[in-house]
Amino acid sequence: MSQSQHSVADDSEAKPVLAASLHDVRYLVALLRGISFSNRATVTLTADGGMTVSVEESRTLVATSYIYPDHFDEWTYTPPPPPPKSASASATQATELTNDDDDEADTNTTTAFEVPLNTLIDCLGIYGTANLTSLASSSGGPKHRRWRRDGESGDEGDGDGGRRGGGGGGGGRGRRDEAPSNNSRIDAYFGAASNEKRTSARVSYGGPGYPLALLLAEDASGPTTTCEIATFDPEPGVDLPFDGERTVLKIIFKSSSWLRDALAELDPSCDKITFTCNPPAAAAANNAPQPQQPQQRGGGSTAKPLFRIQASGTFGSTEMDYPNDREVLETYECGAPLSATYRFGHIARTLRALQSSTKTSLRIDDAGLLSLQFLVPVPVPKPRGGSGGGGGGGTSNSFIEFRCLALDDGTSY
Amino acid sequence: MRFRANIENVPIFYRTIQAVEKLQKKCIIKFTETEMHIICNDDANEGGIQVWSVVKVDSIFASYRIQSNANNQITMILATDALLQALRSSSTSAATSSVAAAVLPTYDSDEVVMKLAKKHDQAVLAFEMLGISRTGRKIRVAHDVRVDVMRPSDVDRLREPLCPEPDVHILLPNLQKLRTIVERIRPLSDIIAIRANNSGKLQVSIDTDTVKLETQWTGCANPPMARDELTQDAEDPAHEHDPDELFSVHVSIRSFLKFLNSHVVSTTTIACVCQNHCAILYVYIGEVADAGGVLTYYIPTVIDGDE
Repeated sequence: MSQSQHSVADDSEAKPVLAASLHDVRYLVALLRGISFSNRATVTLTADGGMTVSVEESRTLVATSYIYPDHFDEWTYTPPPPPPKSASASATQATELTNDDDDEADTNTTTAFEVPLNTLIDCLGIYGTANLTSLASSSGGPKHRRWRRDGESGDEGDGDGGRRGGGGGGGGRGRRDEAPSNNSRIDAYFGAASNEKRTSARVSYGGPGYPLALLLAEDASGPTTTCEIATFDPEPGVDLPFDGERTVLKIIFKSSSWLRDALAELDPSCDKITFTCNPPAAAAANNAPQPQQPQQRGGGSTAKPLFRIQASGTFGSTEMDYPNDREVLETYECGAPLSATYRFGHIARTLRALQSSTKTSLRIDDAGLLSLQFLVPVPVPKPRGGSGGGGGGGTSNSFIEFRCLALDDGTSY
Repeated sequence: MRFRANIENVPIFYRTIQAVEKLQKKCIIKFTETEMHIICNDDANEGGIQVWSVVKVDSIFASYRIQSNANNQITMILATDALLQALRSSSTSAATSSVAAAVLPTYDSDEVVMKLAKKHDQAVLAFEMLGISRTGRKIRVAHDVRVDVMRPSDVDRLREPLCPEPDVHILLPNLQKLRTIVERIRPLSDIIAIRANNSGKLQVSIDTDTVKLETQWTGCANPPMARDELTQDAEDPAHEHDPDELFSVHVSIRSFLKFLNSHVVSTTTIACVCQNHCAILYVYIGEVADAGGVLTYYIPTVIDGDE
């Protein structure tokens, strides 16, 4: 890994590889912070896909944030000229040529580099106005339903009695403010923006060997900050391709809090976490005879739960079962019984991403590869060219994806 | 040796001590007939930061009486947190962090008396507060802060750091905002560069292997300094300064943050840069016009291999 920085005056006439600007860095920071468990992140720029930032841990866990061009007020990506050609000539010609082949080549070009992620986040947050604290609470509101408790009337085949934790103290915790707050996100974007300060940023990257340059400002009268963050040549990262054909389990949590609360409940000292699932028919048949009866702790393993999260550690184990309720599991597709075990430390890495997301998709393939996708809505600035301001063009859905390999011993198909 | 005073403006006194308390556990307070000097000059301080402050007696005290064999001066060493505790209990409004509390005279105690006393063969600074509780009862609260009175010969040895004539004076932006920024930079570097010029530009920057960061303010005021004019009259032709020339000093970021703790007391802060020597920061207590007092921070430069 070599760090090499050209002097900026080198070829100032060549277009920078990336020139982008955004008027509110909070969503960018939320997307980056969701994966900030390791300092070294690989940033990949593509012509149409925008920017992906990925981080890996022990070649088992890969987390990727997708940052689309429409999140930015301005986004210009010029793939760097291929190195073998004489650089200065091709850079100027490439823009003039209308040749199809050339365009084709350009759109396929990707640029990758590594940056110290925590440094990047620290720089973006320099004015202290880059934190997205309101997102999770305000957006989760309308979709969020508290756990159904024993004794309450269930409306359908939800005999499982909701969640059953080792601690059992989850009832009160799950109760959340249900007041409709449809507008709160809009408020966060418009109303709050008018009286609260936002950090706006201009991002540029000159190409391999150049630093990632940021220009940050709060308002016209305030200070301006320039940062140059060293970039590194990318190292080949671990690739964990998820083949949709081989999906065994697919769950969409209607609200990310259904998973977040469950994971947050688990003791940090746990070392393994197991996801167990059964096809809905099998689970229903199993549970039909005793719909409202709490299961015995020991007997839990013999029953066929629909979807169960089980965590174990030195101090004991915790089991949580999810009901087959569309309000909780919006989608539940399970082809065959499956149980896959992961290192809890890896799964716990997702908590920060869960914090800023609204919906979660969980998929596991037949080899136990876990794919968690967290939907993060990002308000889209005005149509291109407009200076942005507060005018929203709706929201764009971005997401953070975590992929994790299963532990060898605990997976049964 | 006699010393007795009524503390009229507890919040200001409280905030001043609060700003100093973050710096070191013990500080020196020297009372003279007209001024109170608070001195932190411990060599062991992070980055060698020192504070020498002067507060006019009138801006905090009333019925101030002092008498001693050494020019009617009394110098004592005391624990800052003990003093802070005593002041905190004398006024709840002092403990609240809003600046409004400093302005509004909302004391719970009618009277706070501070006097030098001797209890059990130990010199103490006795604080006595008389007040009325919420239910209307009279209450009396007393705090004794143990002090060591310094001998006049030791006092004479206290010397304010000698600095060359600063290259530039500049009015700092709101300290609280500056503090937010410096706090974010803190994890990235140990050393911060402060640069300023005579045309209102101020920069704080770091330069490490992984990141170069620079925050810049423009349009800061360069206050005219009385001393400036004096020296300029003498050697004006020889010293034509380019107003855009930046003067810089590298200081420990932790010391700089300690100085920024004084945002609780500051209204106006003037920074002086002695190029590659030190930064001197004058934190005015109360309005500049009143000139009730000033906390002077000396932060020496960090000798860096690169410089």
